[in-house]
Amino acid sequence: MIRVVTPGLHATLQDAGRTRHLRRGVPTAGPADRVAHAFANALVGNDPGEAAIEIAGLPFAFVAERALLVAVTGRDVRLAGRDRIAGWTCAFVRAGDELRIEGHSRYAYLAVRGGFDAPVVLGSRAAYPPASLGAPPLRAGAVVAVRPARVDASRGGLAVAAPRYGDVARIIVGPHDDRVDVASLLSSTFTVDERSDRMGVRLRGPAVAANDGELLSTGVVEGALQIPSGGAPIVLLADHQTTGGYPIAGTVIAVDLPLVAQREPDESLRFEATSERVAVAELQRVRRDVLALRASID
Amino acid sequence: MRAAPRIAPMGERALLVTFAERIDPVANGRARALADAWEARHLGPAIPAYASTLLHFDPLRVDGAGAAALARRLASRGAVRRAAGRLIEIPVRYDGPDLVDVARLSSLTVSELVALHADREYVAYFLGFMPGFAYLGELDARINAARLPEPRLRVPAGAVGVAGRQTAVYPFASPGGWRLIGSTDAILFDARRDPPALLREGDRVRFVRR
Repeated sequence: MIRVVTPGLHATLQDAGRTRHLRRGVPTAGPADRVAHAFANALVGNDPGEAAIEIAGLPFAFVAERALLVAVTGRDVRLAGRDRIAGWTCAFVRAGDELRIEGHSRYAYLAVRGGFDAPVVLGSRAAYPPASLGAPPLRAGAVVAVRPARVDASRGGLAVAAPRYGDVARIIVGPHDDRVDVASLLSSTFTVDERSDRMGVRLRGPAVAANDGELLSTGVVEGALQIPSGGAPIVLLADHQTTGGYPIAGTVIAVDLPLVAQREPDESLRFEATSERVAVAELQRVRRDVLALRASID
Repeated sequence: MRAAPRIAPMGERALLVTFAERIDPVANGRARALADAWEARHLGPAIPAYASTLLHFDPLRVDGAGAAALARRLASRGAVRRAAGRLIEIPVRYDGPDLVDVARLSSLTVSELVALHADREYVAYFLGFMPGFAYLGELDARINAARLPEPRLRVPAGAVGVAGRQTAVYPFASPGGWRLIGSTDAILFDARRDPPALLREGDRVRFVRR
């Protein structure tokens, strides 16, 4: 297990998310940056969907209560202990070591070999605090259990290149492109608003014209680019509501959603149209890389 | 003959199937039947709404064109025959902070408003917005329930609200723009319960005055 010393602004346990109760209005939750989360798990030899700690607002400090294999990932992160270990690297830590995750990342991930343990609620360990689902946000002094797993010190040092967190997100246009000025959306540069959270990234910039203010509510997905009547787009993230009534200009493809989630307030963001074919090929590449990495440590 | 639904991608991992652009019990029945058929195939979760169904799928297992073709086939299956939903009674105290305003805006007395709201059977069209939140329709047309111009920052759990031709109970405290006319002690969502949500799509709901 680990003991939390400094929890950062908001640290929660997140596995891949809760998908079996969308029809009951239960959001998926799960990590805001699914790629960083999956790689953190793969680096320590876990299934990509194991429970890891998501930290918003570094630094995060903890004590390893036993020997562990750990990995931290995010946009720009590192692990400081006896040594300084780069992000996106598997590290062996000894019982009693105090470690600190530092850097600049809106969301950072800490995975341990075996995965963190917590009760499974509605099929998932993902925390969704608004409905008190999953473990509550971590506080200083909290102890988080680790599921039993073989810890092989020689695995330490395995590393993978971090993906590039750029400022252009590719979208698949639609389904409401007949009601929204998609051309102006694609030619504008937006700025991330500080009110962004795990429900969605709110953008400021030139207003995007939408014909009708509200539509009949429909199910919506993570990555959907909603255009409310004021014309300020919102990109839905992991904690988004299962249904929504604003026109959807397009949907950010799965492999680019992490860069959107990781943009800091006042940073810029642009959108570019792409095809389903490209989106699927990219998703396949990332999944293959995650599984190959995991296989290399097993 | 029934109109073919509109099928459009929402990203590379979901399809939105739209049966109608209005609140309509027949379109809602088709939307729920499609969600059931999709989930029975284990292709991914489905979310039915008033007149549409969102279908999730894994594009590395089935490509978008294949998913759309299957959705079209499942959506055009024979008449949707569903048993009438369960009848769920929810005890309500008509003590909401907007009760008097809604009565006034509707040119009704408070007791007339309460009678119009309570003496009616609603249908749970779908769940969304938050865990266990069921969109119930339709309100008596004499009730004028425009949304609040500024949403409340905090609506308490158990609040009974009205908006447009809809009514609902808030399962959890949250911000909200519906006008609140009552409250209930019923637990709308409890993760320890199976199923966790008190209401499911297709249920009939009646509010009982306390």
